[in-house]
Amino acid sequence: MTDGKPARSGRRLMDYYWERLRKNRLSIIGLGFVVFLSLLGIFGPIFAPDPQKTDFQTKNLPPMGFSIEESVYEISTGESITTVVWGNLDHPLGTDSKGRDMLAMLISGARISLLVGLLATGIAIFLGTLIGVLSAYSGGWVDNILMRFTDIMMTFPFFLLLVMIVFIFGPSLAIIVLVIGLTGWTGAARLIRSETLSIRTRDFVTASKALGASDARIMFRHLIPNVSSLIIVMATLSIPGVIMAEAALSFIGLGDPMSTSWGTILNTGQHSLDTAWWVAVEPGIMLFLTVLSFNFFGDGLRDAFDPKASI
Amino acid sequence: MMSETVLEVKDLKTWFFTRRGTVKAVNGVDFVLKRGECLCLVGESGCGKTVTALSILRLFDSPPGRIVGGQVIYKGDDLATCPMQRLREIRGGDIAMVFQNAQSSLNPVFTVGDQIAEQVMVHERVSRREALSRAHALMEEMNIPQPGRALNMYPHQMSGGMKQRAMIAMSLSCSPQILIADEPTTAVDVTIRAQIIHILRALKTRRDMSIIFITHDLSLVKDIGDRAAVVYGGRVVEVAAVEDILKNPAHPYTVGLIDCLPDVSSQDKRLPSIAGNTPNPLEMPSGCPFHPRCSHVMDICRSKMPACANITDVHTVSCYLFGDKNGGIAR
Repeated sequence: MTDGKPARSGRRLMDYYWERLRKNRLSIIGLGFVVFLSLLGIFGPIFAPDPQKTDFQTKNLPPMGFSIEESVYEISTGESITTVVWGNLDHPLGTDSKGRDMLAMLISGARISLLVGLLATGIAIFLGTLIGVLSAYSGGWVDNILMRFTDIMMTFPFFLLLVMIVFIFGPSLAIIVLVIGLTGWTGAARLIRSETLSIRTRDFVTASKALGASDARIMFRHLIPNVSSLIIVMATLSIPGVIMAEAALSFIGLGDPMSTSWGTILNTGQHSLDTAWWVAVEPGIMLFLTVLSFNFFGDGLRDAFDPKASI
Repeated sequence: MMSETVLEVKDLKTWFFTRRGTVKAVNGVDFVLKRGECLCLVGESGCGKTVTALSILRLFDSPPGRIVGGQVIYKGDDLATCPMQRLREIRGGDIAMVFQNAQSSLNPVFTVGDQIAEQVMVHERVSRREALSRAHALMEEMNIPQPGRALNMYPHQMSGGMKQRAMIAMSLSCSPQILIADEPTTAVDVTIRAQIIHILRALKTRRDMSIIFITHDLSLVKDIGDRAAVVYGGRVVEVAAVEDILKNPAHPYTVGLIDCLPDVSSQDKRLPSIAGNTPNPLEMPSGCPFHPRCSHVMDICRSKMPACANITDVHTVSCYLFGDKNGGIAR
């Protein structure tokens, strides 16, 4: 069991998980993109120009390396002149129909997507963990009431609720985060409850009770740390869903009008899909890559934490 | 040995109300524990010795279990009825318990040092640093080699014997007066067993601590016990000093148990056994629970539970073969 080397607490366990995670190439690529996106979201807006600044002199500029033909009807001669417009370094990813810089908008979108994704998932997982562990540990009527409440929450059509609340309270990021967070905990609660049920019968729970631990201590020191791998995996895998929900909401025009999110850009791009295709394609690619990365990373984490998985 | 009483269990009854019926797992247990002595609770599987131990600290699952009668007196408090708050202070602080399965009695996600230090901090207001140094001293006391290194280990990095010793260290972290050890040596091999017995014996004298040692193994009783209480059918049937019990067993069940001890030098191929099976806990026999298996059974045994009879001042037995046959008062 014990090898010759001195046991280093904490670090060693993390090293072990990191070793297992590293063997999954896809999940490392996913992690890489998530890290890149986070850096972009945190530091990007400092360097990028204002994503809301319009400039009609440079509207509909294609990304660098691409060109479009622009026809201008010349009134004096009565004929249309076609010029070829190339993308340039000032706007490396092009501009939209109002001349806003696409790169700046995508960076701003990254910040918003991650912010909403992390905050809403944070609220949802926090509530789910609390309700799941409390339910499993208490048992009896507490368990019954909490789980029936979860069932009821699950029957709400989530997106409809979101649309309704945004419609009533007005669109703002805070409302969106709160609604997604306060409705999204149900699956987590059920999963964590079932995991906790098996852990609470383990001997170390009885042993710590025998040595005077209070119920709260057992829940927070013994039960929750033992389901933490499940919590981490679940959080990672539920972030993309939240990002998609926020994008969808912004796309149908119920997003925060004060901020530029990927969904908002998609919505703008939809109207000029025949002329300025990049306005819709670029945020689409970002969403696609983000969701995929989180899923790959989450899958990798799940395998790394699962002692039965062969890697 | 005739020192003050630290714990008194009086007519304790813990019943489990299950769907199939009421299991009277502990049905009128009496014993006293003196300071600095090791009392062994001996009996077969399912006789109620573990539930007795769990009942002292109210650790059984409730529901379905409930203490339906009796008292557990410790320092003037009745642990069977005292408020949860007080009971939590006593658990670990005054009375600690070690379980049979050390393999799973430690939390797998924290280092052993963390867990012992936390245990100290639950009961006393000390800094983490002080708690850790206390943990270090305890591991040393448990004869664990390289205690500093062991504190940084996770349970899965330790051997079974080390885990059991770490568990004992943890339960001793707040210097309890009483240690309840529930078959602490069943899951470990004989050499580790000897070490653990040695440690417990040393603790008893060094700390003047009382130990309730639960076992089904009479040879262990001889090694560690001062007095022994034989439990059968949820009742204590005989209490005496260990030498007394082994040399002059009175109750037919105790006699049977001692006859079953394997003797290495004996040439007999077959071990003797007590005829019959342990009673079904849902349908306890009337009267003395041992009467269906007893070779000395009398009519009165089938209807009335015999009272305690004194053979000597320190040797009591619940059997109609001893004392006044007619005066036995059923409880």
